[in-house]
Amino acid sequence: MLLLPSAILHNMIEHARLLDPHECCGILAGVNREVRKQYRITNILASLTTTELARFDQAKLSDLKQLSPEERADIAFQMDAQEMALAQKDIRTQSLQLQAFYHSHTASPARPSTTDITIAMEFESYREKLNLPEPLHVIISLMEKDTPIVRAYQIRNSTATEVEITRS
Amino acid sequence: MIKVRIPTPLRPMTGGKGEIEITGNSVGDMIEQLNTSHPGLKDRLCDEHGEVRRFINIYVNEEDIRFLTGKDTPLKEGDEVSIIPAIAGGA
Ligand SMILES: [Zn+2]
Repeated sequence: MLLLPSAILHNMIEHARLLDPHECCGILAGVNREVRKQYRITNILASLTTTELARFDQAKLSDLKQLSPEERADIAFQMDAQEMALAQKDIRTQSLQLQAFYHSHTASPARPSTTDITIAMEFESYREKLNLPEPLHVIISLMEKDTPIVRAYQIRNSTATEVEITRS
Repeated sequence: MIKVRIPTPLRPMTGGKGEIEITGNSVGDMIEQLNTSHPGLKDRLCDEHGEVRRFINIYVNEEDIRFLTGKDTPLKEGDEVSIIPAIAGGA
């Protein structure tokens, strides 16, 4: 179970709506599956050129290179590394811990895509070395614009299992 | 020796290796050394101004070099460096 304050839940939905049709992304921090703080992180895909993208990940590029940067940000996200590092530092300073990463799906359901699962597993392979707790993955679906759906998942062994969100 | 962890997307450039050992006095040195043994790797990690790219975090032990002294961050025997892509996803 993930305990999520209503104010943060609303702020995440507002963040998703603000960036729609691009995907939004961010970090949730707290203690023992109780969220206390939210960090909005810039999705840099809209501002990355194809060449820049190619410098990191050929696999990702093959899916995305047909698209303009703007279109790319509609179907994927890449967190700004500097903002992510700043958030991690703030989380430590406040004696909180990473609880979840969140992002939006602007036209698909609130469940992790194959790419989401692959990248979550990649993150898992570094996580313990960086001494970070296992994060949940929260997805905000704007498929039905008037009724956003927010769901949380634990991703282990390439399988996503839903974790109940309880509002506080 | 200093252990450097290479993320999956860059392993095609290191012959599949996930860990490389180097000697060097700073993160900047490390990048140059990696580029000598695996040409082109620097271009993947740094932009045209030599700054670490916006989608990459480099950690020395558990600290991001952005909060240490960037590429001047000193390295010593036994340090572990992790090169990590910022979290991403697709639809
Ligand atoms: Zn997704």
